[in-house]
Amino acid sequence: MEGNIIQLAAAFTGSLGFAMLFNIRGRKLLFSAFGGMLAWAVYLLLGCLIVNDVWRFFLTSMFLTLYAEVMARRQKAPDTIYIICSAIPLIPGGSLYNTMHCAVEGEWEQFSETGMHTLMLAAAIALGILCMMTLLHVIYSVYKDVTRWCRWRRADEKSAEDGKEDGAGV
Amino acid sequence: MHENASRLDARDYASDYLYLALNIGEQMLISGAEVWRVEDSIRRICRAYGAVRVDVFSITSSIVVTIYGPEFSSLTQTRRISGSGTDMHRLDRLNQLSRDICSRVPDPVEAARELEKIQTTKSYPLIVQFFIYAISPAAFTVFFGGTWRDAAVAGVIGMILKVLEQLLNRYEVNAFLSAFLFSLLGGFGAIFAVKHGLADSMDKISIGVIMLRIPGIALTNSIRDFFSGDTMTGLLRFLEAALLSMTIAFGFVAADVIWR
Repeated sequence: MEGNIIQLAAAFTGSLGFAMLFNIRGRKLLFSAFGGMLAWAVYLLLGCLIVNDVWRFFLTSMFLTLYAEVMARRQKAPDTIYIICSAIPLIPGGSLYNTMHCAVEGEWEQFSETGMHTLMLAAAIALGILCMMTLLHVIYSVYKDVTRWCRWRRADEKSAEDGKEDGAGV
Repeated sequence: MHENASRLDARDYASDYLYLALNIGEQMLISGAEVWRVEDSIRRICRAYGAVRVDVFSITSSIVVTIYGPEFSSLTQTRRISGSGTDMHRLDRLNQLSRDICSRVPDPVEAARELEKIQTTKSYPLIVQFFIYAISPAAFTVFFGGTWRDAAVAGVIGMILKVLEQLLNRYEVNAFLSAFLFSLLGGFGAIFAVKHGLADSMDKISIGVIMLRIPGIALTNSIRDFFSGDTMTGLLRFLEAALLSMTIAFGFVAADVIWR
């Protein structure tokens, strides 16, 4: 438990550092660093349910995209800002390093194993972002269609009522 | 005769706003925007200024745009993009500028002035950057399971590496050589600390320090590009990320081998 809290604090600090390297300013800085910590918290929580870390990465990146989209809408900023910074703790830098380490040392079997794993992790993050974006887009479009339809219905009913009143008047 | 003159005017105007749109697109790419965002922004800006049809093709190192309109038939401009980084503040402002252009349609000259203002925005001061180069590796060393002593060493190494990076940037050293030297020095620092009992684990320090340069975001983005259909960009980014991370890992291992 204590280890987890330390890790979360480290995730926050690390994301904050990177957000500053990426020249994010003002309140956005805090929100993106917080996103990084939140993403890692979700990843740790998912650990109680799912053992496979590729699936955990996938679900976590779906979550962080949701967070990023909400933040981007609220602050009227490009969503990339929040996605990149919140994904920092997930970025498989460590396992990329391990992979290349194996390659340089000539341990080809381990290289292909860790390499595949790294690629799977990166793909899981990318797919999670993509799935969530598509999902949100669809939901938003459906929502717009439904509101338009409701407005149209209401207008229709109103004109029908107007028609009735007119009829009564005559 | 008169019709001819107005046609020329329209052509001038179109070439002006096309140039502006390309400038904005170029700045966006350099600031680290995704290819689809750049293409979308250029398309919207040109449409706002009156182009009937806009065809944009962009990869990370080039943009090609052709616009069509009844007054000027067609116009094409291309741009070679060199250099890339991540400057989200600038990207944010560029995004706002292109939104503003689409809603207000200001004179291209006025918009160009606004763009110039954005180009001069600065990153954080050097002192703060040094601080970041200490904090980030330290945080990630702890994050990946290093001890507090490891974190302190990673912080010091990070600061030293910032000096090196500043020098390498100044003399415009090739990106791969720069990454190699960066990781070589980082590796030496980590080995030195472990050998002298200042730190416990070379691996943890290395991974913490490496987060500063490892192209993990590029790797993830490249796969994102693949899935969203920008295969060319995805391939370019993927290869670059793979080569860079190989170079970085090679630097660390070389430090290990040389020390022995």
